[in-house]
Amino acid sequence: MTMTHPGLPFLWGMSIATIIVFTTVWALLAPSPRKAGTGGWSLARLPVIGPWLRQLVSSPWVLLSLKLVMVAFFLLVIFAGLYGTPIPERNIATMLTWNLWWTGLIISVLFLGTAWCAVCPWDSLAQWLVRHRLWRRANPNNSLNLRVPRLLQNVWPALLLFIGLTWMELGVGITTNPYATALVALLMVVLATISLAIFDRKAFCRYFCPVGRTIGFYSQLAPIELRPIDSQVCADCKTLDCYHGSAQVEPCPTWLVMGRLTQNSYCISCGNCSQSCPQQNVAWRLRSPSVEAIRTGRPHWDEAWFMVVLLALTAFHGLTMMPFWEGWISILARTIGDSGQLLWSFSVGLIASLGIVVAVYTIVVAWTRHLIKPAEPFNRVFSTLAFTALPLAFAYHIAHNLNHLVREGAGLGSVFRNPLGAGTAPYSMLEQHARHLDLLINQDVLFALQALLMTLGFLVAVQVVRYRGGQLLAGQQRSNGWRLAPMFLFAAGFTGFHLWLLMQPMVMRM
Amino acid sequence: MQVETQIGNYFVTYMVFPAFPKSNQRGRINLYATHIDTGTPFQGEVTFKVRDDGWFQTKQEILGVQPSDDNVYRQGFVFLNDGDYIITAEYEADGEPYVIDFPLRIGAPSGRVPIVGAVILVFTVLITVSILQRKHLMRTKIRSARRETQT
Repeated sequence: MTMTHPGLPFLWGMSIATIIVFTTVWALLAPSPRKAGTGGWSLARLPVIGPWLRQLVSSPWVLLSLKLVMVAFFLLVIFAGLYGTPIPERNIATMLTWNLWWTGLIISVLFLGTAWCAVCPWDSLAQWLVRHRLWRRANPNNSLNLRVPRLLQNVWPALLLFIGLTWMELGVGITTNPYATALVALLMVVLATISLAIFDRKAFCRYFCPVGRTIGFYSQLAPIELRPIDSQVCADCKTLDCYHGSAQVEPCPTWLVMGRLTQNSYCISCGNCSQSCPQQNVAWRLRSPSVEAIRTGRPHWDEAWFMVVLLALTAFHGLTMMPFWEGWISILARTIGDSGQLLWSFSVGLIASLGIVVAVYTIVVAWTRHLIKPAEPFNRVFSTLAFTALPLAFAYHIAHNLNHLVREGAGLGSVFRNPLGAGTAPYSMLEQHARHLDLLINQDVLFALQALLMTLGFLVAVQVVRYRGGQLLAGQQRSNGWRLAPMFLFAAGFTGFHLWLLMQPMVMRM
Repeated sequence: MQVETQIGNYFVTYMVFPAFPKSNQRGRINLYATHIDTGTPFQGEVTFKVRDDGWFQTKQEILGVQPSDDNVYRQGFVFLNDGDYIITAEYEADGEPYVIDFPLRIGAPSGRVPIVGAVILVFTVLITVSILQRKHLMRTKIRSARRETQT
């Protein structure tokens, strides 16, 4: 029997729809905005916690301790997956990985940016295996230090791996298979280690890691960033220790120069820059969560595709958890003569979902370009406006994951007491029902948070269109907001679709 | 374990008891087949076959031919060895042959194989990299020594 979670109530849905309609009308009529500010608020300058925070980011011990904890959990996941019970809801491998980590990871970006990458266990294990050091600068001769081939110096590999991960997660069903979960965890260690042994710095983190790139892009909407405390110190810097490292500290693993850093996408929050800077000029800074998507993020062709496909994948994710999805796949399977696990039908559904979203976005961009008649080529308009996809995907992704976390996180305590699930049986229907009703927070609070997220996601998307579109409209009248109508409709349409998905009952994962 | 799928005009549900069978332990497969459009249960006979789930395994054995028993096809089994098997259910309906494969795992999968595989792979890469780097360093030293002697 399939159990479902209730969707967002109609009243909430209508309230958000009303906000969408009014905001869209306002955006069409309002003049193009002036330049957005990029100011931030350095936490290191706070009177009491500032010095303490500076000390914290420039000391390797805190990070190392956290890494050790994460590696311990990661090894437990592998061990439990390989040797524990195959019952997914009784094994810590599946519960911790898919119900807590995978759902909580995206939510964590909203508060901590790419902090996960700083304590990433597969990167830590790769680092220790290849560099033979726990934290200090290692002998560079432990790696071949080859340059990544130019063909791979982009986010296409990470994008393909992310699509592959989604296929395994939703199509093959690794989320309900502890053994497969452990295999994927092992695969991540192997890939990270091989990449570190062959390529210069951390090419895996920069170009290949599907998890790192996803949270990297989402972290463009995070309210925190690791940046210089005083930009003039960086401007006057002649040694660039943040980029080259120091005698004790490794160089920036993703080839970033702190003084020129304008977007979070590739920063993995490792803290090397803050530890190596002789002026202690690097610290966490609070900022407007939309500033990167609106202004400082630089448009690139491959990154634009990543953002648009991310939007498609998040919607696809939601779609596969609707009760009607199985019916659709069933019809498709009959049409193409698929049987067994219906993987062909699922794959066709996945490709079609990606294709439809990319096609719609392409048409919308072409239409917008036609209306604004800019001198820029199509690729530039496509890349510039792709930032719109980011808040739409992020808001829905968090709202969807909140549902999983709040409604399916109830059994976590028992798997911590018995990580391998030794001697346990699958949940009975009664236990399933009890778990179903045992929410981590009140359901009304969950609905309110989801509604807030959808509204904020849409408002940020509108701002992105106004500012990014304003750049494309440069030289034209400021009252030309209506020329961006296709993009506003795209944002409104997609938010409406996400809202509709949230309002449907969602199939419980395990 | 339960697998729900479809083939042609039929929804097929396959269930294994116990959920995680072990070698030398009696187990049972229950199979239900209903017409997608009419919901009518299939009433003919179903042949159950088994083979090893390997890339080049073609040898198949017949487990049994079962008639419908209250719309359920029940097939018992006892496997002597742990491993991955494929259960094939075959039947004929509306003049069309239906053949559908289901996975069956007997015993727990090996935890050692993936770990040993990963360790061998990682250490092979690390040792190869180390050898290549040593050679590279040696060549660099020889080159610089030659340069010094020339000057």
